[in-house]
Amino acid sequence: MGSASVKGEGSANCIYLLKQCGVVVGLALIIYLIFSNADMGYDFHWAVIYEKNQTYKEIFGLWLLRGLLLTIKISVISGLFALGLGTIFGIGRLSAFKPFNWLATCYVELFRNTPLLVQMFFWYFAFPLMLPDPWVSFLNTHNFEFAASVIGLSIYTGAYIAEIVRAGIQSVPKGHTEAAVASGLSTVQTLRHVILPQAFRVIIPPLGSEFLNNMKNSSLAMTIGVAELCWQFQQIESFTFKGFEATTAASAIYLALSLSISLVMNSVGRHLKIGPAKKLNLFDIFLSKMVVPVLFLIRILPGAMQYFTQKLRTQTDEEKELSATVSPLQLFLNRVFVFLTMTFKGILLAVIISILVLSVKGLINFNWGVIKDNFLPLLIWIYPAGAETGEFFNGLGGLSISFLMAVISISVSFFIGLAVGIARLSKNPYINTPAVLYIEIIRGNPLILVIFWVYFFSPIITGMDINVFWSATLAFIIFSGAYIAEIVRAGIQAIPPGQTEAAKASGLSGYQTMRHIVLPQALKLMIPAIVGQFITIFKDTSLAYIIGVFELTTVSQTISSRLMIYPFEFYITIGFLYFACCYSMSLVARKLERKYAD
Amino acid sequence: MRMTRKVVLLLILISTLFFAGTSFAGPVFDRVKETGVVNIGLQFNSIPAAFYNAKNQWVGFDVDVAAEVVKHLTPYLGKELQLKKVKVNNKTRISFLTSGRIDISTSNMTHKRERDKSIDFSITYFFDGQKVMVKKGKYAEHKDLVGKRACAMQGTTSEKNLANLFKSLGDTETDKNIVSYQTAADCFLALSQGKVEAWSTDSTILLGYAAKMPGKFEIIGDFISNEPYGMGLPQDDSAWRDAINFALQDMWNDGTYHAVYNKWYGPDTDYYFPLTEQIEMWP
Repeated sequence: MGSASVKGEGSANCIYLLKQCGVVVGLALIIYLIFSNADMGYDFHWAVIYEKNQTYKEIFGLWLLRGLLLTIKISVISGLFALGLGTIFGIGRLSAFKPFNWLATCYVELFRNTPLLVQMFFWYFAFPLMLPDPWVSFLNTHNFEFAASVIGLSIYTGAYIAEIVRAGIQSVPKGHTEAAVASGLSTVQTLRHVILPQAFRVIIPPLGSEFLNNMKNSSLAMTIGVAELCWQFQQIESFTFKGFEATTAASAIYLALSLSISLVMNSVGRHLKIGPAKKLNLFDIFLSKMVVPVLFLIRILPGAMQYFTQKLRTQTDEEKELSATVSPLQLFLNRVFVFLTMTFKGILLAVIISILVLSVKGLINFNWGVIKDNFLPLLIWIYPAGAETGEFFNGLGGLSISFLMAVISISVSFFIGLAVGIARLSKNPYINTPAVLYIEIIRGNPLILVIFWVYFFSPIITGMDINVFWSATLAFIIFSGAYIAEIVRAGIQAIPPGQTEAAKASGLSGYQTMRHIVLPQALKLMIPAIVGQFITIFKDTSLAYIIGVFELTTVSQTISSRLMIYPFEFYITIGFLYFACCYSMSLVARKLERKYAD
Repeated sequence: MRMTRKVVLLLILISTLFFAGTSFAGPVFDRVKETGVVNIGLQFNSIPAAFYNAKNQWVGFDVDVAAEVVKHLTPYLGKELQLKKVKVNNKTRISFLTSGRIDISTSNMTHKRERDKSIDFSITYFFDGQKVMVKKGKYAEHKDLVGKRACAMQGTTSEKNLANLFKSLGDTETDKNIVSYQTAADCFLALSQGKVEAWSTDSTILLGYAAKMPGKFEIIGDFISNEPYGMGLPQDDSAWRDAINFALQDMWNDGTYHAVYNKWYGPDTDYYFPLTEQIEMWP
């Protein structure tokens, strides 16, 4: 009987999957019909990707592959650095040594609350101005574009990883640490043998999605001239004007890359599950066999080291024939440890002091006059003087446009996210599949690509004259809708199933249960995450710079390209403006979180 | 239930087809004649072609030429036209034309056959050529730059021309040595900070930026290429293209063109660039 029910479940799953595939095929067919039958005013020429171009004698598909390799290289290197930075500063966030704690907090808050684009520009254009000349000329001849993009990405992603590591460590019950200390383990031993192994179980899943974000964010390296995937597809676009085809090819590649990363992530997640519920499929087992050599090394290394130290210890024991409980080696090691801790603290203080000195020095040399003269344009651009020349929004621009875009995007995408998030939880394949497709396709692509998509696609499909402002806003709406959908889904899933059952039992319809029982509670849970999403979108508005929307980054570039000599002042100022807005909003988010926690 | 779902799907399908079918933009000439509005795409970061001055006003050679073209279109469209300026950059100028967001693109655009596959061009209205700018006193000629890093703007013809020049001079690693940035401002910043040794683009753009820091930069060598600027126009609208061409020729004949030219590139300006050629004239 048991087996029969399992079999029934299996065939039901199978039918469901088939239905889902059917919906996907149906959607593909509809899209194909639209494209092949309707006159879009656009001439599709897919061969541009794989054919040898007559004018340039190049196969453009190869360019994409070259870009892909560079994207992978940047993502992997910056991912590793970010992991290092994140671990150090994540531990720092919990350190009892105050200066370390402050430094870690400043690092996390500063870099999480400014747009990556601005950071990238800062590292590339403004940071070298603080270095001595010989260093700068060294950097300039050694592919500084690549280095700056890796620095920018590592530091940005590292700040997010630091928070993940902190949360992971905090998730280990305090009793474990106390027990470890009570049984005589040192701080390092406690970290190594008690806390980190447990914390990593909590850390790894969000870490994976952070690496995924890091890969997607690497697309921003194109703005400082790194020829990665995003740069290459635009190169193809500018050579052939086949923007639609090039964008499609690039997003297919990004999607494949994202999907493979999440496949690995999910598999690792299944491995990490504790208890009898562990269900491993073939892929999981295959993957775990792949890492066997690494695991072997990890297992063998501590053993080898132990063997080595034991050999040392027996030698000394034989020589001195000591019967004391603490061996001299142990004493020596303890002293070394204390010494190392002191040096670490010393170095840390020196770093903090030098950062402070550098910032004060930078601020003293700061040309405040330039900022003062141009501060108003940075906030509102030429509003309302643009009215005479008929400019968009009477010439409004700068910070206010960034804010406006973020507000419009979040308000509209909230409703999209709500609908799609609920649709994703639906058991009906006709409703569920489009929702899954939308969420996964959007989340699998970098925002830049979504911006280009809307930008190329919206005029083709609507034939309307859309201002770049609306084009970018639409892209933000579509992008953030997918993320909010996932927030909504998590919020709804957090509501205990008993409540739904009780509601159904008391005679409420599905809609009524959703409307009166589930959603009110779920929305309350979602609020902090939605504020977080708003901060993300606000930071992301800086990307609209690429299609020439007059938001803060573009305005500052326009002004600084006229003055030309103060890039440092401008990047610091807009960095500060973004930070001030995002940080104050993140304080609100935290307050809300505490308010709704109980 | 199942029936209604199918009906809904069918309706969606039909409506999308219908929607897409009606989206085709009509001939530009008729539309402009009817609405009286011309949308012209202009850059905003290109000195002295189109940029924001110290008072944050949108000015430049291209801006003035665009205004004059619109005035000179009156006899051909039979009414006074209103100019609507639209901001474009290297990435957006062509797709704005193909999608009908702008009717004319006056934005440092070289007439190229590859580009002509997607859009049309007016007769040449400005004769520029690509040159190379370096820091003063560092390099004397193009050959000295072999193996050094140089930059260009992404999405421009100068990028490709520069790579060809370097290859012809014996540079084997042009992929590494040529860096492409998004804007002219980025290129100039990179050059002035020493991130690259040279910047190559159309000579008037170089002049415009060099004038920011007098005496620090110099232009070396001959023209790498001819860069005849045409006004980008929507594909296959010959009535519209004729009107623009006639307007340009009328501007030349009545002296407006020279007045605008001298205002921005005359001997008394920071961007002195002698007018050596004549626009194509149809008797």
